[in-house]
Amino acid sequence: MGEILIETKDLGISFGGHKAVNKVSIKLEKDKLTTILGPNGAGKTTLFNLISGLLEPTEGQVFFKGTEITSLSPLQRIKMGMGRSFQLTNVFGALTVFENVRLSLQSKAEIGYKIFTDHRRFSELNEKTERILEEVLLFERKDFLASELSHGEQRKLELGMVMALEPEILLLDEPTAGMAIEEVPVMIEIMKNIQKSGTTIILIEHKIDMVKSLSDKLIIIVNGKFLTEGDPETVSKDPEVLKAYLGGGVLDELAAEG
Amino acid sequence: MMITKDFSKKRLIILALLLAGLSVIPHVSGLSTITLFSRIFIMAIYAMSYDILRGYMGFINLGHAMFFGTGAYAVGVMFRNFGSTLPVFLIAIVFSVVFSSIAAFIMGKIVFRSGGKGPVVVVAGAMTTLALGEIVRHTAERWRSVTMGADGLSYRIPEIFSNRILFYYYALIFMIVMTLVLRQFVLSPTGRVLMSIRENEQRAEFLGYDTQKYKLIGLQVAGIASGLSGVMFGVLNRFANTELLSVQQTLNALLMTLVGGTGTLYGAIIGSGFVNIVQSQLLNFRSVHPVFERWLLFFGAMYVIVVIFMPRGFVGLYYTLTDKQKAKVQKSAVGKS
Repeated sequence: MGEILIETKDLGISFGGHKAVNKVSIKLEKDKLTTILGPNGAGKTTLFNLISGLLEPTEGQVFFKGTEITSLSPLQRIKMGMGRSFQLTNVFGALTVFENVRLSLQSKAEIGYKIFTDHRRFSELNEKTERILEEVLLFERKDFLASELSHGEQRKLELGMVMALEPEILLLDEPTAGMAIEEVPVMIEIMKNIQKSGTTIILIEHKIDMVKSLSDKLIIIVNGKFLTEGDPETVSKDPEVLKAYLGGGVLDELAAEG
Repeated sequence: MMITKDFSKKRLIILALLLAGLSVIPHVSGLSTITLFSRIFIMAIYAMSYDILRGYMGFINLGHAMFFGTGAYAVGVMFRNFGSTLPVFLIAIVFSVVFSSIAAFIMGKIVFRSGGKGPVVVVAGAMTTLALGEIVRHTAERWRSVTMGADGLSYRIPEIFSNRILFYYYALIFMIVMTLVLRQFVLSPTGRVLMSIRENEQRAEFLGYDTQKYKLIGLQVAGIASGLSGVMFGVLNRFANTELLSVQQTLNALLMTLVGGTGTLYGAIIGSGFVNIVQSQLLNFRSVHPVFERWLLFFGAMYVIVVIFMPRGFVGLYYTLTDKQKAKVQKSAVGKS
């Protein structure tokens, strides 16, 4: 097993008695594209929120590279090298595409609270911004407002923004949700490139067909509980997984393939 | 300077002509016009400081007049007690800057407390600023020995400011310098982060920005600018009363930025010009009918009309019109080819 970047121990949260995430213990390894798979409402996004610090768990612990981070703020976790995207697109709509990515780089560059230097003077940031925009195939759109982009383009932009932070581990919440079908392969290509550049990607998905070939490892979450994990081939044939999803419908394709 | 790079030649020429026109005004018009224009220049910076908060940071401050009013009171109280001299004026400036930055810091610490987001928190924050502003106004009203309470404070100003024509130029220079400074602030890395906070604070946080700290800086810069415009207004007005600290005074800033266009900086200048000219014209009509003395009545109506028909103010209207023209030109170009 490679280096463990994130580990959760009996992690859980309940909203008014309902256990959205129930004693989940998982390990996320470096350089292994891991997908957290489960039907809608299984608690995948809640688990991400617990890991990234957006929600405070009611039980259990979270570790980042062996250090406990359960009570740290999202900001502190980001500074340690954790990045995340959101299920709903989350870009700065009234700012240009260029500015969206540049702001991300500015944060990483830690130039401090300068209040009288023109932001355009930091030419290094500008060049880097253009490079990232080329990588996520948005260079031609750089002067558009982010809100003018199509949904798929906004998702790419968001990916560009998280990439700019150069996180060690990147939590992506359904990066292809709502995308046009022809855009999905492009997105997968971008993700593969990120993985190659040394950032470990953790995905949330409910569509098995998309992640089966992409992932190194699958973790199945059902009803807020950890079900099983392993390489895509084995897990997708696991009778317990099939049983758990019967009636759920989401992984029917999985059953058909298996 | 980046300015020459930012502006096209055409724009620079228009700016130069505008400036030339403004510098001629005092020589061709009466005292009341000169005073009106001085007022417009000073109030423009007050409105601009409000625009930093509302337009760039997305923060509604209903206690913004506290900085402005305190600036005016600072010159008034000091001129009255320590003499109307230039050094005292400079001390009043220093006092106003220190007060504004401390008051903004305290206000920010209370209002920007972390935890909870959403419309309820925004309203609660605005209400808190309202309460803080009222505390300052009440203090001024009760502290009669220093502020003369509700009667207001009149005072003499230093010799060099008493010439209205000269003061017109001081006010104009004040406006130009402050506009450049605030423009630089908006263009700074910090100003850019404030814009991202306006768009989506949670996202800004997930980019690794300590949004609370940035908002504090924004509020302090806006507070200081507002305080300085208050100092200038104190000198122009030669009189300070608690109205300068009131919610009405804050709403004036809101109206001016709204009319001019929020989030544009320059809109504040246009808004200040429009609002102040309309206000003085309405007051001139008071001899026709006493209803015109209630200019607030008309402002209420104006507020509603602006919100409904030109939500982006005059500057927004200009952009919409030029965009349409551009589209037309492009269309006709396509048609020809």
